[in-house]
Amino acid sequence: MINLNNMVDYHHFPIYSIMVLFLGAFLIAATGGKESKNPRNPAGFRAWIALIATGLSLFFLGSLVKPVMMDGEVIAYWMGSRGIAGGYAIGIALEVDALSLFFALLISTAVFVSAIYSIRYMVHDDCVPQYYVLYCLLAGGVLGLVLSGDIFNMFVMVEILTFAAVALTAFRTKVYGALEAAFKYLVVGCMGSTAILTGVIMLYAQYHTLNLAQLASLIPGSMNNATKLAFAFLYIGFSTKAFIVPFHPLAADAHGAAPASISVLISGVLTKSGIYGIIRLTYFLFQTMNLGASQFMLVFIGSVSMFVCVTMALAQHDFKRLLAYHSISQIGYVLAAVGLSTSLGVSAGLYHAMNHTLFKGLLFLAAGAVLHETGTTDLGKLGGLSKKMPHTTVLFLIGAFSISGVPPFNGFASKWMIYQAAYQKAVESNNIGFLAVTIVALVTSTLTLASFVKVSQSVFFGQLPKEYENVKEVPFGMRLAMGILAVLCILTGIFPNTVTGILTQPAAKAVADVGEYITAMGFKSNLPVPELNFAQVGVWEPINWLLILCCALLALTVVAVAGKYDRVSESESENEAVETKYQLFYGGEKNVYSQVGGGDLFWGFKHNWRHYFSFMHDLHSGVVNDYALWAVVALALAIVYMMIVF
Amino acid sequence: MILYNYICAFFLIVLGFYTIVTKYNLVKTVIGMSVMDYGVNLLIISVGYTPGGTAPVFTAGELTQASYFVDPIPQALTLTSIVIGACVTAMSMSLVMRLHESYGTLDTREIRRLRG
Repeated sequence: MINLNNMVDYHHFPIYSIMVLFLGAFLIAATGGKESKNPRNPAGFRAWIALIATGLSLFFLGSLVKPVMMDGEVIAYWMGSRGIAGGYAIGIALEVDALSLFFALLISTAVFVSAIYSIRYMVHDDCVPQYYVLYCLLAGGVLGLVLSGDIFNMFVMVEILTFAAVALTAFRTKVYGALEAAFKYLVVGCMGSTAILTGVIMLYAQYHTLNLAQLASLIPGSMNNATKLAFAFLYIGFSTKAFIVPFHPLAADAHGAAPASISVLISGVLTKSGIYGIIRLTYFLFQTMNLGASQFMLVFIGSVSMFVCVTMALAQHDFKRLLAYHSISQIGYVLAAVGLSTSLGVSAGLYHAMNHTLFKGLLFLAAGAVLHETGTTDLGKLGGLSKKMPHTTVLFLIGAFSISGVPPFNGFASKWMIYQAAYQKAVESNNIGFLAVTIVALVTSTLTLASFVKVSQSVFFGQLPKEYENVKEVPFGMRLAMGILAVLCILTGIFPNTVTGILTQPAAKAVADVGEYITAMGFKSNLPVPELNFAQVGVWEPINWLLILCCALLALTVVAVAGKYDRVSESESENEAVETKYQLFYGGEKNVYSQVGGGDLFWGFKHNWRHYFSFMHDLHSGVVNDYALWAVVALALAIVYMMIVF
Repeated sequence: MILYNYICAFFLIVLGFYTIVTKYNLVKTVIGMSVMDYGVNLLIISVGYTPGGTAPVFTAGELTQASYFVDPIPQALTLTSIVIGACVTAMSMSLVMRLHESYGTLDTREIRRLRG
């Protein structure tokens, strides 16, 4: 007997939101791979199935905002009503707290917008129906991961999303390096998945349960060596999914080769699932975030990711590859902020995670629009497209301003909060190290802006090459998708307090209140209800502006000193031309008239840092064995670190 | 007895890592991934083992407090893991085939168009 009233109960909505996506994938696959005759939509009605499935999924999750976010309910849902027996979880659970819902909302928004974009974007490809099958599988896998209350299910979902993502990376087999990128991603991703599974099994052997809430109630206080080993395995496993250092080369390869609509998902969605996994591990499962060692681990890796990836991005000359490195750089911000382990820090980190999904999605879609019309993403070949594609240019600039942290766009608000959180943490804990995070974050932000000056110069401004005289603006469907993200970028930037109040602060509260997560599932917990303080010194407080100005000056000094150091040695030679040639930003050949191409805008800066850049270039050798070696070394380091400090 | 299983399981996992890191042939990389998978499968099945336990198959009413059987959950997990491992192998082999078509080699050191 189907009870309709029971079916519309919102407690069922989490499983519905996952099911519609898998059902959509099934329906699309079941209707066969025959393409329709319509040149504007080769997948025919199957594209609409994907759109409806993703839209429904977004709707189900959106209607959970009120009970979960505002009323603070934690939805514990046992599949088939098989719950707890004899004090042990025997069923498979979904558990949706504000943190899960926050990530799920981000994911479903990105998936929905990207589905709108896909319809017109994929017209040049073949096998488009199969694309939508994989698309729905990927979306369902990520949603299942963040809504799951069962650690083995998390592993299964990780595998589903890795498969779908690998297949979609290789989808355009003719694209330069697509197969190669997919293979590398598969090898290292598989090592990560194996690490997750090994960790899960070691936890099961210790605690005889797979339920997250029950594990969270059992593990803390009974950490032994096996648990620590499991922690290290799980941590590295989720790191490969978040693409943080040392797994960033995979992201760069995969983003560059995948269709733009998939790059949006890989950067906006897959990395988030990794971050979600790390938060669940450190805050909930093992509850180590009150320890300095654990904070140091996240903050350090976050800062390194920030800086390394932004400098790697500066050296790129492919539009999408450059965006990919920036994507990981921004994930570094998120990780560092989350690692601060203050309520403001977590809130700021999640806020930045949300903004990252929005502006990065926008930028990848803009890159896809350029690729769609011109057939290339090589920065050296493009130029002057603003005359031909004015809407795309404006939308791209909104994204570029957001990621560079220009007020009043959303990147500014969240980065501002991260600076404040790091500074407050430094004051509270009396630890100068956290201040360094603020400085690294500021330098990174500056370099991000520099990099986007280069991109906008070389793609949208400057001279229009002859072969692109006939380029047209992209179809409305694609502009609509970009427009949605652009509007969201501006809205979340103008109303930071509303957004943090509705979305990120409940999520940060859920992160702090682990006891609620455990008891909602029906297990005992004696963890105290935490007191939270989201107070920041006020976004417009002048003293902060002054502080930021000082930090910015410091950042500038660092850059200037790095430049000057080399210039002095250079100016020892008598030749004046050489002296001005290597100046930061303004260097160049004085006598010869040369149109400064975007790729060369910072060549003076790059010249001064040439040793670093060539070192990094050699390091990212592109050989899959090297990346696998990095993964193994990271795992070994994580094991040693956790054995020593916990 | 069960200790050897654990040692073997971790030996296989490490052997898989070793193969992936040191072998420059794509097919050997795929073999390494499989070996790694087998190691994990062995680990899972060993975790659920209880000495002297019977198979965990009972009909309703047969199950009593005195029943002594191996933990069924890891067996279910192993099945899932085996299926996933087969998928990984199939997918990576198909990628290897396509790579061989377009690059004309199976040497990882030559398949590095994307770098830096």
